[in-house]
Amino acid sequence: MSTQTQAPAGSDRPGAVTATPAIEISGLTKTYGSSDTPSVNNISLSVPAGTVFGFLGPNGAGKTTTIKILAGLLAATSGKTLLNGYDVTRRRSATMQQFGAVLEGSRNVYWTLSAWQNLLYFGRLKGMRGADARDRAEELLKGLDLWERRDEKVGGYSRGMQQKVAVAAALIADPPIVLLDEPTIGLDVEATRTVMEWIRTMARDRGKTVLLTTHQMNVVEELCDRVAVIRKGEVVADLPTDQLLAQFRERDKYEVRVEGNLPELSLPSGFTARSVEGTTIISGRVSDPQQVYTLVDRLRDQHAVVQSLSQVQPDLEDVFMGLIKAPAHD
Amino acid sequence: MTTLTPTAGRTGPANTADRPGAATYLNGFSNEVHKGLLNLRAGWREVLIQMITFPVFFLLLVLFMGRGQLRDELLLPGLLGMVSLTFIHEQVNRAFWSYLGDMQSGVLEQTYLTPLPSWTLILGRQVAAVVSALPSALSVLLVGVITIEARGGDMPFDVQILVPLTSIVLGTCGLALILCGLTLVYKRIEIITQFSMAVWFIAGGTFVPLDNMPDVTAFLSRLLVPIAPGIEAIRDILVGGHSLTGLETGWGLWWVILQPIVLIGIGVVLFGRLEQVARRRGTLGRY
Repeated sequence: MSTQTQAPAGSDRPGAVTATPAIEISGLTKTYGSSDTPSVNNISLSVPAGTVFGFLGPNGAGKTTTIKILAGLLAATSGKTLLNGYDVTRRRSATMQQFGAVLEGSRNVYWTLSAWQNLLYFGRLKGMRGADARDRAEELLKGLDLWERRDEKVGGYSRGMQQKVAVAAALIADPPIVLLDEPTIGLDVEATRTVMEWIRTMARDRGKTVLLTTHQMNVVEELCDRVAVIRKGEVVADLPTDQLLAQFRERDKYEVRVEGNLPELSLPSGFTARSVEGTTIISGRVSDPQQVYTLVDRLRDQHAVVQSLSQVQPDLEDVFMGLIKAPAHD
Repeated sequence: MTTLTPTAGRTGPANTADRPGAATYLNGFSNEVHKGLLNLRAGWREVLIQMITFPVFFLLLVLFMGRGQLRDELLLPGLLGMVSLTFIHEQVNRAFWSYLGDMQSGVLEQTYLTPLPSWTLILGRQVAAVVSALPSALSVLLVGVITIEARGGDMPFDVQILVPLTSIVLGTCGLALILCGLTLVYKRIEIITQFSMAVWFIAGGTFVPLDNMPDVTAFLSRLLVPIAPGIEAIRDILVGGHSLTGLETGWGLWWVILQPIVLIGIGVVLFGRLEQVARRRGTLGRY
């Protein structure tokens, strides 16, 4: 499998500590039971402190498995994970003080307890003194607009509010690293925006390291400094977000709009046409701009009226789809 | 838009200790007990229903055993057995279902993200379960005492019964540890928990003294059933009038003390092993 990587650079954010990577994964492999196929296959990643790191992949790619190994909830078959230099298998207690986590598909907090009770519980669970936990809980609940409803049971909250409480519980002990596995799943636009704002604030203003998995590419593109893409348990790309986008920009996508419905047009290879409301849209990726001129010439030869020609920049979703659909190289 | 007020956040490695201090252990333990009691308060309706149904069940059982009459010679031995059975039923079920519930909802994984070892939290759960078992057990005791006193009898009390009572509580903790450990790996074992309750009801000597059972059954009950030696000792003290050191039934005081220690030892070892298996298989949070 070819992997596109570049050595991670330190963040220039205030408060960022770059000497030791906040998250370091080396040669991590996890095979469940007697399965022949590892869920995570010899992956290595290094996340500098203060980075928002997007960890992307389709369902079943190995993202959650990796996060659970990082969090010490799952034992690796082989390899090593370090959080701020601490190995969870050897120094569990110290490692647990380095991070907070919102786990995918879980409630994360007790629905039978109030938001206030949950935060105090998880604060003390993390080893905080009662008074410290109360102060921090108040700060978090006020910051999340939950203070007025702090004594209501979480089960009665909306999905967005429940997720806010989960994020607050992960941050209760003010950990330097935050693992967020699908933190915006199931949230409406406003709640997603709130969580995104939180992530941005945590990283930019408070220098925290955030490892984020999500299927919402706009979230990643907006927040992440660096992105790794995992496919079938293997990392297929690990680059700063802008470099990843730039790399795919080399194979830019072009779009030509032609007047009328002309599905019978003869096109050069690599281009496809579709008709939308009286217009034919021809699009395709090109490795050489000359291919676009060839296309236009071909269209003129067929007496088609070209309305516009534009270069379509790839967004992260295009990059992601390109990476996960690319044939594997053994 | 909600925003966080930026404050001096922690960016580098957190202050760490490889082993949490005693205060952290105590804090975590009491935190777990507190959570259990909050859940108990949240489920007060259920507790209220149990405080009514368990005494009714006790009176009905004595009635059936007395062929339609509340016979004095059955009331006291039956009461001692029923209080113990109520206790073990509540303690085991509350510990088991709270664990299973946390696993099903996924919140169990979050409870593992702590610097404390999991046994601290399990212990806290157990203490909360013990406290949660008290209302139902005490209501059975209260109804039993009122019934006995109303019929002109006396409810005896001897401080020595605290030893077998403690034995029952600790032995039940061992049993709950085993069941919680099995739940981590095998998930849907409710049937085992419920079946074990039925076995304790029959083989625990709650209504039929072990001396009246076949020798093999009595032997296995005394050996394995957490409440059996305790119930036998309580009856011996309160009904038989014997001292703790001169128990006439069962295997004597040494077994009343040793059995819960053995059960807790087995529970701790088994739970630890099963937890490792769960981490390996990834079943801590998968239901």
